[in-house]
Amino acid sequence: MDNKAFRLWDLPTRIFHWSLVLAVASALVSGQLGGNLIDWHGRIGLLVVGLIVFRLVWGVLGSTYARFGQFLPTPARIKAYLANQWQGEGHNPLGALSVLGLLGLLTAQVLTGLVANDDIAFTGPLFDLVGKAVSNRLTGLHHLLSDLLIGLIVLHLAAIVFYVRIKKQNLVKPMITGWQEGEGKSASGGGWLALILALALAGLVVYGASGAWLPPPPPAAAVETPNW
Amino acid sequence: MKTKFLLSLIAVLIAGSASAQVKPEDAIKYRQSGYGFMAWNMGRIKTNVEGGNFNKEEVIKAATAIQAIANSGMGALYLPGTDKGKGWEETRAKPAIWTDKEKLGKIAMDFNKEANEMAKVAATGDAAAVGAQLGKLGASCKACHDDFRIKH
Repeated sequence: MDNKAFRLWDLPTRIFHWSLVLAVASALVSGQLGGNLIDWHGRIGLLVVGLIVFRLVWGVLGSTYARFGQFLPTPARIKAYLANQWQGEGHNPLGALSVLGLLGLLTAQVLTGLVANDDIAFTGPLFDLVGKAVSNRLTGLHHLLSDLLIGLIVLHLAAIVFYVRIKKQNLVKPMITGWQEGEGKSASGGGWLALILALALAGLVVYGASGAWLPPPPPAAAVETPNW
Repeated sequence: MKTKFLLSLIAVLIAGSASAQVKPEDAIKYRQSGYGFMAWNMGRIKTNVEGGNFNKEEVIKAATAIQAIANSGMGALYLPGTDKGKGWEETRAKPAIWTDKEKLGKIAMDFNKEANEMAKVAATGDAAAVGAQLGKLGASCKACHDDFRIKH
């Protein structure tokens, strides 16, 4: 192993990142195509709920560079970065803005998606909590935000290309291997207990989002209706 | 001359009564009722496909209801100026409905085709085929929702 390298992204962060890439890509495609894929769109949405919650917890309990405190884009840090004076590893202040923007936007997407309806045959698992009128509004928002989300993703990809071409820095490789070339302090923290806690919380919120706890509608046979 | 006038008057009266002018507010109501009723039937088919106990008769009822509404000529309810107004609720019809007629026409014909096909497939009682056709039918609904329905 090259001794001029250090551990940057822990394994859970990397698995989270690439799972989110796959999930968001599938969500965008299934949402655009519709038809029977809309049911998968809903399932993928629940997966994204779990991934977001995991990341939020991991941003507190995870290892060094995955922590929000480490890369919080404070005005001072952004100013330093723009003046080329920022020194640090992991998410730079602008990248951190993008990370938080994407997480925030995805949170809005799953919240609106959970209560959405398509006026065809699909309703989000928590639709009954808000009713049709509010659902219609939030479904509209869900559509608008998806355009914004695509914009942010394009920006995210453009930044990666910019770093490779102009700054001669490969951001993708560390996100795959976990190792960053150069000198730096290897990430620490984020042990098994933190991982179990993050997964447990993610699972709990996914259960809540799935609406499985909502009272089921009465079985058709139990309701007496005329048979004409 | 007099006969000609009378004949044309009768023709106008007949034509008028054959498609009695609907009030804009009612037109919007009928539109919304049609789509809402179809949504109920889409849901019925979906429940039968998903629930594990597929009821052929139930699916046929739902599919023929959708087919009937799809072939009822709902286009007649899109009176000029009814991109604004309230039926059961504020209409979500986009003005493009009255301008982008060619595209909308294609979408509408596609929907009719899929609705007719849905009824045919329902008659076979093949649950998997019904599920697949429900997806195609739903996609044809979505095509219109995407471009011709206002997203708040």
